[in-house]
Amino acid sequence: MKEVELRYVAHITDITGCLKERYRTDAATLRDLVEELDARYGGFREAFVDPATGQLRWNAMIYYRGRGEVPAAVVDLDRPLGDGAAVTFW
Amino acid sequence: MAVREAREQVILWVDLSDGSVRREALPEEWTRMYLGARCVHARLLFDHVGPQTDPLGPDNVLFLGTGPMDGLPVGMGRMSVACKSPRRTVAEGSFGGFFGPEMRRAGVDYLAIRGQADHPVYLYIEDGRVEIRDARHLWGLKTHETDAALRRELGAEVQLRYIGPAGENLVHASPIFGNLNQSGGRAGCGEVMGSKRLKAIAVRGTGGLRVADYDAFLEAYKAFRERLDLATSRDPWTPVWSTYGAPVLARLFADMGNLMTRNAQEMGWPEDKAARISCEPYLERYVTKAKACFGCPWPACQKLYEIPSGRWQGLKGGNYWAGQPVVFGSLLDNDDLDLVLVLSALCNQYGLDIFHVGYTLAWAMECVERGILTRADTDGLDLRFGCPDKEGLVDLVRKIALREGFGALLALGCAEAAKVVGKGSERYCLAVKGQELEGIAQRNMYMVALGIAVSEVGPDHTRWYPPYPCNPNLVSREELAALGVDLDLRLAFQGRNPQEKGKLLRWFTISRGVVESLPGCVFLVRDTLGLDMRPWWRLFTAATGLEMDYEEFLLPGERVVNLERAFIVREGFRREDDHPPLRMQLEDVPGFGYPRLAPEVFEPMLDEYYQANGWSLRTSVPRRATLERLGLKDVADALAAAGVEVEP
Repeated sequence: MKEVELRYVAHITDITGCLKERYRTDAATLRDLVEELDARYGGFREAFVDPATGQLRWNAMIYYRGRGEVPAAVVDLDRPLGDGAAVTFW
Repeated sequence: MAVREAREQVILWVDLSDGSVRREALPEEWTRMYLGARCVHARLLFDHVGPQTDPLGPDNVLFLGTGPMDGLPVGMGRMSVACKSPRRTVAEGSFGGFFGPEMRRAGVDYLAIRGQADHPVYLYIEDGRVEIRDARHLWGLKTHETDAALRRELGAEVQLRYIGPAGENLVHASPIFGNLNQSGGRAGCGEVMGSKRLKAIAVRGTGGLRVADYDAFLEAYKAFRERLDLATSRDPWTPVWSTYGAPVLARLFADMGNLMTRNAQEMGWPEDKAARISCEPYLERYVTKAKACFGCPWPACQKLYEIPSGRWQGLKGGNYWAGQPVVFGSLLDNDDLDLVLVLSALCNQYGLDIFHVGYTLAWAMECVERGILTRADTDGLDLRFGCPDKEGLVDLVRKIALREGFGALLALGCAEAAKVVGKGSERYCLAVKGQELEGIAQRNMYMVALGIAVSEVGPDHTRWYPPYPCNPNLVSREELAALGVDLDLRLAFQGRNPQEKGKLLRWFTISRGVVESLPGCVFLVRDTLGLDMRPWWRLFTAATGLEMDYEEFLLPGERVVNLERAFIVREGFRREDDHPPLRMQLEDVPGFGYPRLAPEVFEPMLDEYYQANGWSLRTSVPRRATLERLGLKDVADALAAAGVEVEP
């Protein structure tokens, strides 16, 4: 089980109802995490996954900062999710 | 007032010394060469204002201008304002609203204001008729007071531009204001307007504009709108900025290690602090009304606010953008959103530039922290990071605008203030070419570092874009090549890889130069609109009826960059002036692992930028071959005649 910090920005807070949360998960990738969050907060998949390509929507963004890493913008939803990561959805 | 063709461009020369007004039609060839707005201003500035011109004397010319697209749905009310800065750079900026379209309806596209009135005046323009009116009753009024007084005098529908007390008092970097909270020309256009004793410009027009090919324009506009629509835009900023606005960056910057904290000594600010001054609490507790500029398709990126409770209850302001959370938040280590919004509102009311005030306060706070300044210097104010004396800080804004006490020092801007104070304080001044930085960090985004260093107006993020589009997969290398853009977008996303940053920056300055010369709103350069300029080209040719191919349409972007560079090299600026502040060159960023911008990183980027532009690597002066290719042989000749070394 991993523990990650999830941050939600601007219109995404309309989906989650909160700005951030500590979250425990077994998700292996960001894609798995999005699916979990979709089950928790309806509309998350629609906001981030392009149904035609299965990839990140052009009008959405995820920042990922792994423990000890420099933060970066994510374009690949299959990026592995590490313990202690901070993930920002907007 | 009659309906005019959209391509017509008329300039009014107004001399405040002798009261004369001269009307002149710009040659149609100028519309082809320079489009309008910023590029026309660059040409006019080079021709009419030189090294011998005292920036605060009667010979400096203040230009306010529109362009062929202004007054049409694409222009979004943008207009350009330009003059020679008191720091000898180009002072050029833009603002939106309704003033530009109203000028065009009044049959005036450009105002060129020279001379100096012997008492405060304002200009009143109604359907092409110009009056220079007494403004002694307005002198000393704050911006919102000036706005109200002139609307009482002239009617609520008049469109206005004005300065506050800061501009009247020639305070560093004062911009020109309008619609209460919109400002433009932060490199000192308000100072120059104040030096002319010109308090305001009011315009009323009843004419119209006609596009040359309505059907083609409509089709082009539909395609343009698709790139900005929430449902179809391929840009993550579209949903965020069109609804929540730019202060969202407070949290995103913090997440990415981009948030300059405590005068950029650090780049990390606790997420909780960033969240307290971000867009979410702002919208929830402060915003009273959303506003949009002329013809803007977005719901409203501008928002009016009111402090809901506490010491400053009832204070009103507007336009909390990306810069304020930095300059009045993290830079001062202040997470009190009330205070951020009060400082911002007061800057607008007094006519001050927020970046001047924020960075100069942060410089003073670091000087206090290091013992260079004491309470004896600060009129007793406890000027530490964290802002323990909020009331004193708020009053200091007034003192800066009125040049009172310690405020008189800060009114000089941090570069000049550091020269006065000495004691090594220059190291802590975050300015380039005498102008303070803005909100975007440099040490982890090399293209930003290069962009703020080379800008001909001083640091100004509106001269280029951060790497767009926001997803490098959006446009393939092949598609870019077909557009004539030799860029690798994947490298654009590698913020701390110096490779290709010079070429990237060159393209972004050129494409932005084109947009600002139409003019259009650069905030709406979303999706691929900064790379694929064809939508703009189709709109322009449909509106003006001018036949030009795509390559010809892009040339004014190059011309504006070269004309502005030619202006500043004639003033004496050279390669050594194109560098980021000392802090960024000498200090690593603690925490995030971002090293300093060492010469081995920065100088090759600078070489690449100059090389891509066809400028001398040694001096930064445009080469004669470059200027001649752009049809600017006369500019090369003028530089040579002025004693500037112009390499072949």
